Amino acid sequence: MPRIVGVDVPNNKPLWIGLTYIHGIGKLTAANILKEAKVDGTIKAGKLSEDEVSRIAQIITRDLLVEGNLRRQVSQNITRLRDIACYRGMRHRRGLPVRGQQTQSNARTRKGKKKTVAGKKGVKG
Amino acid sequence: MGRSQKKGPFVDEKLYLKVVKQNENGTREPIKTWARACTIIPEFVGFTFMVHNGKAFLKVFVTEDMVGHKLGEFSMTRTFRGHSGNKK
Repeated sequence: MPRIVGVDVPNNKPLWIGLTYIHGIGKLTAANILKEAKVDGTIKAGKLSEDEVSRIAQIITRDLLVEGNLRRQVSQNITRLRDIACYRGMRHRRGLPVRGQQTQSNARTRKGKKKTVAGKKGVKG
Repeated sequence: MGRSQKKGPFVDEKLYLKVVKQNENGTREPIKTWARACTIIPEFVGFTFMVHNGKAFLKVFVTEDMVGHKLGEFSMTRTFRGHSGNKK
């Protein structure tokens, strides 16, 4: 199992899919990386030579924000919004959708599991 | 959709002039404004604005982090703060 930037990359999958196991790399980015490193994306990750692995790793560390760094940046951005108390920050604080979606119904991803309220909307008792 | 680069950020002109004037005089009085759509530019940092929310003027102290946001983002227009049963 080749390790690229930290942990990652399973042996039994074609490389262009395997690379997407790294947080911050999707299919498009994976394809771009492979093109730049001149590595065939259809071969399995286990069959890579040392040289190819290091070429890929080099490109990633040079151009991209991945894994921990990316996660840190995202959470910093959110913390910034929270701290300045702007509308988006308030929505983050309250655990509601941030981008103007409706909340009368749905929005379950942000609001979490349903909290049933007695007497509301046909719930008897 | 974002705003065209060509135009630059929207800054309410009267408000901007008031800020410039206060800078010259060296005063830092709160400025009452209805211009919620006005972008906060670096010159505004350190000022206090009274931003109208449709009902009252809420105090907004501008810090460096707020640059690039609009004044209205800091003056909430809705009052809901949770159901009766909710603690916290």
